[in-house]
Amino acid sequence: MNPVTRELILKDLRLHKSHLLFTIAAEFLALAGVMLKTETAVVVGTSCFFIALVFAGCLLAGSNILNERKKQTLPFVMSLPVSPVQYSLAKLIATVGMFLALWLPLVAGALWMIEGKGMFPHGIIPAALIILTMPLLGFTIVMSANLVGETEGWNMASVLICNSSYGLAWYFILKVPAFTNYWGGSVAVWNSTAVSVLGGEFALIVLTLVLTFYVQSRKRDFI
Amino acid sequence: MSEYAIELSGVGKTYPFFSLDNIDLKVPEGEIMGLIGPNGAGKSTTIRILMGLVHQDRGEVRVLGHSMPQGQVAAKWDIGFASEDMRPYEAMTLGWHMQFFRSVYANWDERYAQLLVKRFGLRTEQKIKGFSHGQRVKATLLLMLARRPKLLVLDEPTTGLDPVARHEILRELTAVMTEEGRSVLFSSHNTQDVEQISDTITFIDRGRIIDSMDKETYLDRWRRLRLEVPSGVTLPALPGIIGVRQDGRLAIATANAFQPDLANAYESTGARVHAIETMTLEEIFVANVEHSREEVEA
Repeated sequence: MNPVTRELILKDLRLHKSHLLFTIAAEFLALAGVMLKTETAVVVGTSCFFIALVFAGCLLAGSNILNERKKQTLPFVMSLPVSPVQYSLAKLIATVGMFLALWLPLVAGALWMIEGKGMFPHGIIPAALIILTMPLLGFTIVMSANLVGETEGWNMASVLICNSSYGLAWYFILKVPAFTNYWGGSVAVWNSTAVSVLGGEFALIVLTLVLTFYVQSRKRDFI
Repeated sequence: MSEYAIELSGVGKTYPFFSLDNIDLKVPEGEIMGLIGPNGAGKSTTIRILMGLVHQDRGEVRVLGHSMPQGQVAAKWDIGFASEDMRPYEAMTLGWHMQFFRSVYANWDERYAQLLVKRFGLRTEQKIKGFSHGQRVKATLLLMLARRPKLLVLDEPTTGLDPVARHEILRELTAVMTEEGRSVLFSSHNTQDVEQISDTITFIDRGRIIDSMDKETYLDRWRRLRLEVPSGVTLPALPGIIGVRQDGRLAIATANAFQPDLANAYESTGARVHAIETMTLEEIFVANVEHSREEVEA
């Protein structure tokens, strides 16, 4: 990797250090709430966990990408020996990396509660992973819309569409027998539906990232 | 390596409501060129093209010997670029920015950076959002200058500054220019600033370069002739005169290639030459733009 690209990634991490630490702390608080094991605590804790993650994801995409244009720091960064493609690569790596730092504890925490603490049956793992992957997919779409669209309008539209789609996706998952028939069981059943949906989510994430990078590399006017 | 720090040949860029047409611009190494144009003339677009941030539709761009936009990474190691619409990170301190630039540029000159901190009256521990506009411009210039670039590209750096801050910045730029081989392209619509530091001056208007030559030649060649025109006398069209404004018996002729013979030529028609006045760069700029627009519209 180009040393300047690496410095740009590190710069973004330093700029958002407090934002990341605050969100991780909020996630652990939410996790602690779930650990209380009462039904209300589990529902409130899980919701808080998701809210923190989705909120942080939207903020991250906005502050790390869109703000660079809004606050006119983009010409400042582009005065460095870096090409628009290298800049876009640095933004993708830094922003995805920061979101993964928030998302992976969520996945690890959920699996720990199922596997380690036995708070939920193992049969719920496929559906849980599908639901947990949704914020990652949503974040990828919001981040790409910010990077490619470059405007507040694209940001708002992508945030609204993604955030309002979560409820709809949950509703369908709760209706599909391929999930509902097995999630009370003691064994995680990876049937073709579960594999296809989870695989589809990750395929969409990769496709969105590749398309974003492709569009960015084809831009003729960067500022 | 080319003898020119910047070479633009036949460069064009078309937008829906604006286009740059056939821009030819050469900045020799070690020279300070002022790029003067009204708002919306194409100064910033030209500069963005030569920085590789906007791709030209036509023509060739070479900066420090690198073809742009392909060679922008190699070229930008030796370019200090500051523009009026450029902002450092407001939540971070000047010291943080200096540390960031130090990590990118091996040739970062910390002693010079600290000297500029003192000279500009800045505080490294202060966040950028606490800086005034003038301090922010100075901080940006500090970050550009302390990396010791071979070429400085400055897009309206003095816009919005008070006279004292402008003086400090122009003084520093003049001092920097004493270093051999350093070139500068300085764009502005403030002719006073450009006149103060530039060797050559290029006028740009409506996406076209309308004139380019060294500062002294401009000041030597442009004159305003105040004439009295008796009734019955018609002023002839003379070579070197680009415009005549007549109000009754009084007329003002503007020359862009003044020769003492011009006064004799007017006198020989019966007109009387009351005064031959030198013009300021601002007056030359305005007359040049008006003449260029009349030519285009004719």
